[in-house]
Amino acid sequence: MVATPIERPHAVNTDTTLGARRFLKDLREEIRCHPGVNHIFLNRLATMPFTREDYLVFGLQHYPLINCFTHYMENLLIRAPGSDAKLWIAKVLVDEYGEGSDGDDHSTLYLKFLRAAGVRENQLSRTHLNPFTIDFVRTHVHLTTQRPFLEGLGAIGPGHEWAIPAMFESIVPGLRRAGFAEDEILYFWLHQDQDEDHGAWLEEALVDLAVTTEARDQIRRGALASLDARERFWTGAQREVVRWRQPLSAKNALRKLQRGAHTILSEAEDRSRVSLGKRGLARLRRRLTPIYLDDVLPRPELAPHK
Amino acid sequence: MRILLVQPTPFEEGRLGLENIMWLSEPVALTAVAGAVPEHEIEILDLRLEPENALAHTINRFRPDIVGTTSMTTDAYQAKAVLRTAKRMRPNVLTLIGGHHPTLSPEEFREPYIDIIVKGEGELTFAEICTVRQAAIDNTRAEVVDAEALANQTAEGLSGVDGIEFSAGDRGWLSTEKRNQQKALDDLPRPRRDLVHKYYGRYFFTVAQPMASIFTSRGCSFDCNFCAIWEFYDRRVRYLSAEGIADQMAACEEPFIFLLDDNFLTDHKRLRRLVEVLRERKIEKHWMTQGRTDFIASHPELMADLASVGLMSVLSGFESNDEDALAALNKSNTVENNRRAMQILRDNGIQSTGIFMARTDFEKEDFDALYDYINDLGVVAPIVTIHTPLPGTQLERKMKQDLLTEDRRFFDLLHAVTPTKLPREQFYEQFARQLWATMPSTMKALSPSQLWKRKAFWMRALPNVPRFVYNARRNRIVHSDPKSYLNDEVGVLDGKARTNFADKAKVTAIPSGSKKLPILAS
Repeated sequence: MVATPIERPHAVNTDTTLGARRFLKDLREEIRCHPGVNHIFLNRLATMPFTREDYLVFGLQHYPLINCFTHYMENLLIRAPGSDAKLWIAKVLVDEYGEGSDGDDHSTLYLKFLRAAGVRENQLSRTHLNPFTIDFVRTHVHLTTQRPFLEGLGAIGPGHEWAIPAMFESIVPGLRRAGFAEDEILYFWLHQDQDEDHGAWLEEALVDLAVTTEARDQIRRGALASLDARERFWTGAQREVVRWRQPLSAKNALRKLQRGAHTILSEAEDRSRVSLGKRGLARLRRRLTPIYLDDVLPRPELAPHK
Repeated sequence: MRILLVQPTPFEEGRLGLENIMWLSEPVALTAVAGAVPEHEIEILDLRLEPENALAHTINRFRPDIVGTTSMTTDAYQAKAVLRTAKRMRPNVLTLIGGHHPTLSPEEFREPYIDIIVKGEGELTFAEICTVRQAAIDNTRAEVVDAEALANQTAEGLSGVDGIEFSAGDRGWLSTEKRNQQKALDDLPRPRRDLVHKYYGRYFFTVAQPMASIFTSRGCSFDCNFCAIWEFYDRRVRYLSAEGIADQMAACEEPFIFLLDDNFLTDHKRLRRLVEVLRERKIEKHWMTQGRTDFIASHPELMADLASVGLMSVLSGFESNDEDALAALNKSNTVENNRRAMQILRDNGIQSTGIFMARTDFEKEDFDALYDYINDLGVVAPIVTIHTPLPGTQLERKMKQDLLTEDRRFFDLLHAVTPTKLPREQFYEQFARQLWATMPSTMKALSPSQLWKRKAFWMRALPNVPRFVYNARRNRIVHSDPKSYLNDEVGVLDGKARTNFADKAKVTAIPSGSKKLPILAS
């Protein structure tokens, strides 16, 4: 799919436009140098001969982020104040739904990668998620539902679209070294190109939105909050990749306890005959012992903005 | 200029590794090169003691002009990741790497994000590189940060610096003349230990903490075939004078000091003088070092004197319980020397940390015999490693055909990189039981009578015992589980590791890819 810049429907004051462009240029540079975009784990992926098994562990932590991305976008779409912003969000969403990848949505593309890495049945839903993976999803649900629209846009826009091509530049060489075929890692290299396009569209949309100091602060705050969560996520993913090879490490013992608590709450939830009790227990489990994908995937009835 | 020197971490939380459990010493390679450029603003970042992503934060805050790192074999990928991070964040930064592994295997570091590979000792080379870079910056400062001009100017200047390989843009990688490593250690600049003062109290050797780290000699006169130290230093040994050692010890705030020399116990005249100087100057530190058992066995009085001025522990390579095996390693030592040395150390209350080797042709009986031997010796902290052909050694050249992998993470002496005679599961089962099997040795060394001989040390170290026991126990859980070793091999040695030991010749050797570079005349 060829990227086309979003046309601006109305004339904009040139001074304001210049100021916005300067702000966006500075923001791009800030994102380029952000520790979340330059995490040591990303550079280790590029330099270290990790195996398919390591990438599977990494991918299982990364998958919830991919799975939830459209949810953040949908949250923003309904909150967008004008058609310009709605149009940009819709364009990106169309790509996420599979417009640029033969109808395969991005979650499906990622599953192809996971299958190539050797994912087993049920492994997706039964993987113990790192607390930083959970934190990432929750941070973005919060940013796109509880914070001002521009903060959410800053997180999903610049915080993602301007950062991902640079981050994946480190991941793709490692995947190739591990022996993945190009079609198996389509998700990653597609994003290197597609997000460049999205980033360009976004810049045009943001020029019209970043007109006041407050607006710029909100966009920047959202972008940096997203990247801070991203930095924590890479740290968590690195720990998972190191830890899986040492099954008896002390941290793994703690996880057994956590899984035990999760099971007890789940069973109590199943046995509860009152629907209110069921929902209460579900909330409690998701709050106290969130460890599986199902615990972090946004549910309409449990979403914080409902 | 602002210079950031980074100590990479070979060790990640939860991963197998000896460092961080038994000891953690200061990054002396970095403090040494930092001492050579006092005119610049320098920061040292020890990633072993920092949060995972401290590097990116430090680069943003400090905005360095040069980023340097060092690498042993197992650090190779981590060190590369450090320089890749730096280059991506600051494309104009000059990145360089030095240390043991880049010196012996420079071809592994010719990467687009590395500008210079320093071979051999770093102090003088680093000072010259900084001078070249400063001149290039000064010459191009008038222009608007012209990255290409800066790189060209730097490359031009680097042609005159001995002991490096550098990336010269379109001309590819170039190598300069080998650096002459003959400067007397007393004439080298004093290491900048102040730059790691922020980590005060975090370096240790077992229960000795806070610990300072210094080196007092370089090189080794022995040519054991599993070690490349003597090749790194061109078979020469140079010493810091006894007075120089005393000066450095006196300057340490820490009560414990690790003398990191590869073989401290060699020049008996220097050691006798050291005893005199330490007594004259009343320097009362407890210190640890590394030395050979043949020296200990043949100098009992000197060992008693060294104990009287604070020598508390000696780390020695006992290697084997078998004379033939010692001969095969070119160790030039005997099992009898090992026994006599242990007796002398015990008599003087000096604790011994012993390194032993399990060969990949070991069977259960061989492990049993080795563990019995260790228990008989009474080494306080026996460390059994796996016989590994480390890059740059004679052994590697001899066994290259047998290597199952060239993944540098496996060259940590805890993984068998050649086929094992026992099935892998059984081999690691035997290897992993060392921690419990050699417990009698530790108990023997820590008998009340032994502890009483050095009560001053133990009183000083007592507060650290719970910390050490806690960490050792946590890591013991991982190390005593054979699955920890086997899981590390998943995806790396699959299939290859199943190769029958007898059929090892059938294992396909991995091409080294090494190639000699043209030497530039300086």
